Amino acid sequence: MAILKLDHVVKRFGEFTAVNDLSFEVPEGGIFGFLGGNGAGKTTSLRMALDIIRPTSGAIEILGRKPGRENASQIGFLPEERGLYRRMTVLDTIVYFGRLKGMEPGSAKKEAERLIERFGLSEWTKSMVEKLSKGMSQKVQVAAAMVNAPRLLILDEPFSGLDPVNQQVLEDLVLEMAEAGSTVVFSTHIMQHAERLTDRIVLLSRGRKVFEGTQEQARATLPGRLRIDAQGDPTSLPGVLTAKRGETNVGWTAWDVSLKPGVAPGDLLQACTAQGFALRSFESHRPSLHDVFIHLVGPGQETVQ
Amino acid sequence: MRNILLVAAREYKSIASTRGFWVMLLVLPVVIGISQVAGRFFRPQLESAYVIVDASGEYEQAIERRLKLNYQRMELSAFSAYVQRWELGKVDPDAAWAKGERWFSDDQVEQFMDDGGIDAAAAMVKPHAPKDAPAYEIDKPGYTRAALPPGVSAANGPDALAEGLAPFLKDEIATSEGERPLSLAVYIPADVGANSPVRMWTNGAPNPTLVDNVRNEITRVVRSKALQASGLAPEQAAAITNISVPLTLSAPPQGAGREQMVIRSVLPLAMVYLLLVTVMTTGSMMLQGVIEERSNKLLESILATVHPSQLMHGKLIGLGAIGLTILGVWVGAAVGAALSVQGVVADIVKPSLAAFDQPWMIFAMLFYFVAGYLIISMLYLAIGALSNSLQDAQSYLMPVIMIIMLPVVFMMVSVAQQPNGIFPVVLSWIPLYTPFAMLARMGAGVSMMEVLGTGAMLTVFVVIEMILLGRLFQATLLRTGQPPKLGAFIGMMFGKNVA
Repeated sequence: MAILKLDHVVKRFGEFTAVNDLSFEVPEGGIFGFLGGNGAGKTTSLRMALDIIRPTSGAIEILGRKPGRENASQIGFLPEERGLYRRMTVLDTIVYFGRLKGMEPGSAKKEAERLIERFGLSEWTKSMVEKLSKGMSQKVQVAAAMVNAPRLLILDEPFSGLDPVNQQVLEDLVLEMAEAGSTVVFSTHIMQHAERLTDRIVLLSRGRKVFEGTQEQARATLPGRLRIDAQGDPTSLPGVLTAKRGETNVGWTAWDVSLKPGVAPGDLLQACTAQGFALRSFESHRPSLHDVFIHLVGPGQETVQ
Repeated sequence: MRNILLVAAREYKSIASTRGFWVMLLVLPVVIGISQVAGRFFRPQLESAYVIVDASGEYEQAIERRLKLNYQRMELSAFSAYVQRWELGKVDPDAAWAKGERWFSDDQVEQFMDDGGIDAAAAMVKPHAPKDAPAYEIDKPGYTRAALPPGVSAANGPDALAEGLAPFLKDEIATSEGERPLSLAVYIPADVGANSPVRMWTNGAPNPTLVDNVRNEITRVVRSKALQASGLAPEQAAAITNISVPLTLSAPPQGAGREQMVIRSVLPLAMVYLLLVTVMTTGSMMLQGVIEERSNKLLESILATVHPSQLMHGKLIGLGAIGLTILGVWVGAAVGAALSVQGVVADIVKPSLAAFDQPWMIFAMLFYFVAGYLIISMLYLAIGALSNSLQDAQSYLMPVIMIIMLPVVFMMVSVAQQPNGIFPVVLSWIPLYTPFAMLARMGAGVSMMEVLGTGAMLTVFVVIEMILLGRLFQATLLRTGQPPKLGAFIGMMFGKNVA
């Protein structure tokens, strides 16, 4: 069952089309990456899923229902642009969001206290938010998003503004939530995080979907690349698209080989063996999501490797 | 509704937990308290002293008698008003003060003085006064006579006397009542005439009643002497100079007539003032709250759980409760102050409450108050949603405040003069001003038809305003960049999705 489903969704602001005929499904369970450069339409799509804004056309289904605040009790949301009431205590802030999501005062307080401890903020429980550092404030916001143990956790650019240590803390939390049974959807333009965390991805460019599937399927869209040390020239081997000569060392030459689409590195290895083509090393290069992104979207879009 | 109340409670708590709120809340009661204490303990010294040197020996006694007579006349007039207000004439129906008159002849005053004067009259009436009536307060004459200070003499003529008195006219002089500012010194020569005038010196701030009394009495004696010199017997001369037009001056009792209308408008005008202050104060808080949410970028988190209309209604309720808290404390302080000042409840509070002798008027007043709050608060909310910063908000706010305040202030002045004048009546039918104008006019009496008519109009206006400004609020909450232009404004109000 899809926990989030967009069906030919379009969103226009005046003359500008932010999301253009977008359709994809997020299956329940696991971590789903919503990738794209700046201005690709990620935030707009997530806002529509949460009913913060309405689509111009198309249909959205979330938790099997139409978007609306009645879903809030099962959703956790961490927006890209983050802020808190400066003159509220850490505990009150998390409890307030828990209450807005339908939690009873007692359970909201209990869960808030558990999360505060989990994030190492215990000594700041009664402190005003204005006294916290930026990193601590972000932890409070994450806690506010998670306080209701949501079935669906939506994180919009969750790693932006966090230092490496806190990025790791958040990564661990995301994995923890997924293991606990939540479905996590997060948008990012930092491919490194998506590569480490996601099971499936959707890739957007200028409001349009350019890819949907698993990471492996995404990588398969790129030609395979190998680095081999050989005595002969591999250009004539079956499945080889190009071969670029590198350094030669005592009769062995390094080659950067690109394979034709659909040819696996194993196919080339088999051909070498069959033809008695001498090899001293055979190193398959696994493309990164960044490579996939550049390949699918083009170098003009902003991402971080 | 649950989320609305949660938002309202958060808004209330966030304001009520600030020091600024408590300072603002308590400033009025503290000012009232201080003014009460200061009024009692730091009342300015009004009594001054005078010196009379009568070289002829013919004027001094007459002046003293005239001063006493006029002082008793003034007290008799005030006492007569007091007796009339508290219906105490029956205590001595034959007394001059029992008939509701305000002007008394010399003969009447002399009779009053022969009967013991104001002290005796006040003492006679006191046991019969109703419980809520304040005791009659006898004012002092405001001036007391001083003898020439040691070392100052009139023997060497008026110039030497002036020189001797000069330091005292700049300072104080000893009297039987203690040290008093010397405000007037009079020198009457042995033969008053064109070549030897009466000389008066003042400290620049003499008691005008004292000066008039002294001057008039000297004139009266001079005229009497002139008449005697022309051959009239002293009795005839005195009779002529004492002639005054026989008249009786009556006035409605305190709290009646025009005064009654003014008193009946006290509470409604106070309500208008409180509405203005409350709505401007809470409106500013609301505006700051929305701007904080926008600039702190926390709206998106909120809007994922709360519909914009719930957020708007929660803010209106929360800040409305803040307004009611301010209102409650201030009205409580005012009532406390009224109760602590004897006679204010009977003289002002009760008569002003009499304007609301029918229950529907209380409901009408509450309706206008709430409607006024909603109309202005919604404007503040919309401005907050349109502004990126307080500086932005100021540029919208200034014209809005001017458009609201100026007509309302003029209207309040106008109502105090003529409650059903053309200006307040016209404003009653302009929705933005209806709550203020109708509240202000209620003391003087408005017809039920007018209340129903303006009430219906106001209800429709508030609903339309809530819908249109509510849309604007929702459409602009997540907006970034420059505030929209007028066309976009209007587009948002009518549901057009403008980026």
